Amino acid sequence: MIAIVHYGLGNVGAIANIYKKLGIAATLATSAAELNAASRIILPGVGAFDWAMGRLNDSGMREALEHAVQVDKKPLLGICVGMQMLARRSDEGKLAGLGWIEGEVKRFDVASVTQLPHMGWNDVAPSEGNGLFSDLASGARFYFLHSYYFRAASEGHVLAVTDYNGPFASSVRAANVYGVQFHPEKSHQWGVKLLKNFAEV
Amino acid sequence: MLRPRIIPCLLVKDGGLVKTVRFGNPKYVGDPINAVRIFNEKEVDELVVLDIDASARGREPDYVMIRNLAAECRMPLCYGGGVKTLEQVERIVGMGVEKVALSSAAVQDPELVSRLAEVVGGQSVVVVLDVRRNKRGAAEVWTHNGTRSAGKLAADLAKAMADRGAGEIVVNSIDNDGVMKGYDLDLVAAIRDAVGVPVTVLGGAGSLEHVAELIRRFGLVGAAAGSLFVFKGVYRAVLINYPSRADKDALLARAHPAP
Amino acid sequence: MTVDYRICTNCVMDTSDSKITFGPDGVCDHCQTFYAQVVPSWDTGERGRAALERITAEIKKQGAGRDFDCIIGVSGGIDSSYLTYIAKTKLDLRPLVFHVDAGWNSQIAVNNIEKLVDGLGLDLYTEVIDWEEMRDLQLAFFKSGVPHIDTPQDHAFFATMYKFAEEHRVRYILTGANLSTECIRNPIEWMYYQSDSVQLRDIHRRFGTRPLRSFPITSILRHKVYLPYIRRIRVVRPLNYVPYVKEDAMRLLQEKFGWQPYPQKHFESRFTRFYESYWLPKKFGYDTRRVQYSSLILTKQMTREEALEKLSRPAYDEATIAHDIEFVATKLGISVDELLGYLSGPNKTYRDYRSQESIYAFGAKVMRLVGLEVGGKR
Repeated sequence: MIAIVHYGLGNVGAIANIYKKLGIAATLATSAAELNAASRIILPGVGAFDWAMGRLNDSGMREALEHAVQVDKKPLLGICVGMQMLARRSDEGKLAGLGWIEGEVKRFDVASVTQLPHMGWNDVAPSEGNGLFSDLASGARFYFLHSYYFRAASEGHVLAVTDYNGPFASSVRAANVYGVQFHPEKSHQWGVKLLKNFAEV
Repeated sequence: MLRPRIIPCLLVKDGGLVKTVRFGNPKYVGDPINAVRIFNEKEVDELVVLDIDASARGREPDYVMIRNLAAECRMPLCYGGGVKTLEQVERIVGMGVEKVALSSAAVQDPELVSRLAEVVGGQSVVVVLDVRRNKRGAAEVWTHNGTRSAGKLAADLAKAMADRGAGEIVVNSIDNDGVMKGYDLDLVAAIRDAVGVPVTVLGGAGSLEHVAELIRRFGLVGAAAGSLFVFKGVYRAVLINYPSRADKDALLARAHPAP
Repeated sequence: MTVDYRICTNCVMDTSDSKITFGPDGVCDHCQTFYAQVVPSWDTGERGRAALERITAEIKKQGAGRDFDCIIGVSGGIDSSYLTYIAKTKLDLRPLVFHVDAGWNSQIAVNNIEKLVDGLGLDLYTEVIDWEEMRDLQLAFFKSGVPHIDTPQDHAFFATMYKFAEEHRVRYILTGANLSTECIRNPIEWMYYQSDSVQLRDIHRRFGTRPLRSFPITSILRHKVYLPYIRRIRVVRPLNYVPYVKEDAMRLLQEKFGWQPYPQKHFESRFTRFYESYWLPKKFGYDTRRVQYSSLILTKQMTREEALEKLSRPAYDEATIAHDIEFVATKLGISVDELLGYLSGPNKTYRDYRSQESIYAFGAKVMRLVGLEVGGKR
């Protein structure tokens, strides 16, 4: 059972809908018990860093989430702000991140990218063509909507790269913890494929 | 490489889709859910849905419709119409809508934009400016479905909004709305010069050539259209259409070639 | 009184059509009518071609100097699509492609209409039915318990076309109705007559919740008497005058225009697909595939064995039906439970509501006597 953390933001409905159409069991989790019962977890996210972290902290699920991911080692996929929350901290806010993947979230340098937020469909080049990006090695494009990006402390944690006047990590991974900066639930067939892959990693 | 966006824009009035000409003569176009479904299957880049008389009538957004649309869309959705408060924005974003558009509320109280951006992030805050050229040709902003003049120039307001954290400016030409003879490119240039956030243009597109023209001149821009993707032919027959992925990539390659 | 199950030895119509009768050789009355009445007067060779040429010449004459000389009702389905192709390229007509949007268009249908219109360089006209009224009327039909719940869509389609023809003084309406795939018609008991406005209004009166203000309404007298004889508006079915093999037609349209075939029959309208593949068989035991396949058997486009094999499996896709049910319920603005509630509600017939059935029966008799109507709908 895939648990989609439902803490008040992020497109949980669309993600749930996609799994329903794929015939993969998924539920919107609003309690620690549901996280404990899940085999994999998705952490969606939209909005400003502190807003998201604050709501997660207040949701009553933070501890169960930590346990599921750090102790039980269940696969977790952070989406957009959900990926940024995996870092230690973010330029965008004051609250601490989850710190599950070494790195911090920085604001794009507006002087070099000329337009912020990074908004629209962009190409994603994964470093490995299996696992999360199985069958998405070439020609995959996803929808991005963000002004901040994840600067991973270790190159080895960068799972995919995207170019926006210079490369940045569009996906990260450390063991069972995955993050994607783009919105797979809003990226048509490529996103559906990625979400399907996550159900199998 | 980041691509320019080609965006169908749907107008909702009394729960039904309509299309207007210069913001008047709304013509009934059908059921929003079915239209969104079809656009979904056509894999459009993103979708804008605007409730055009929510503000004018002082109504709340139709949350049931918004939730249904959000769950249906496999592409990003921007909703606008009757949005005035942080609570509404939080609620709509919480339903899975990527962006919320404000128009009259932002024009009347630009500080609202900063407050929203702080909470939900600028990327989710879009300001729509409905623009009409005055007798001297200057582009001025109007609100409440084109019935009230804000007394401000479009470029100035656009800059004010972007400075306060709006993540996108949608510039909507009332003069060209539904006319299908091309975008007001000078207007776009003025807005582009004023802001560093993505700009999306609406009003006037009558063919994919107009879209290509816009992209050729401005590169990374949002090309939005209502009539173009909803009507077909001389009788303006309602038929949802959108270029196939191959056609769209070809258009982008011609108009915005990779460096 | 229960009837023992029996199936025709020639086609696959069976006793789910409660009025079916069989000859001594086990051949049903549908087949008998086909051989006795349809075959002798149905010609797709020389005579058919000559007849079509006469009609075509008349259409051109009436339409000379106008922007278009006829209207063709299209749904995005194969019949109307192929007809449009023939009308333009073989008959050299200048049709206005006419589409009625009842809110249930599938993406493939919309795409196919677009491809055809672009590929053939034709003009398109669309009439959009007010969705709130359509939705309410469809719900009213669900609540009434009758089998013919696709009446709102069908009725709107024809009413709109007639209205347009009358307003714009268009003398010819072309439809894709054809004997090749429809020589056996749905029993009246199953689908009744979708043009019966008295029935439509009665069901609306009892179960509708909002007035029908813009919803187009026609009536049997209007379009079988007034329009053809007073306003001289004729409905022509060109596909009955030329050889029409569905498979070949689909292949041709695919090659020439990139027309997309549908994964299932009637997939042009998501509602019709749900209705015919699930609702009708589940609630009443009426499987419209029986009618369609029987027609194809009679016109030698399918063997009886093939038909029986297909009929042995459900008409709906078990993998996606739950999703379809949810889609229909959501679109109608009700819960799945409410929709399924109507499914298990009492089964009614057209006789439970006011109707003009006597007029239809009388009219059909007159038409047959005078030799105007080919084939029997009963």
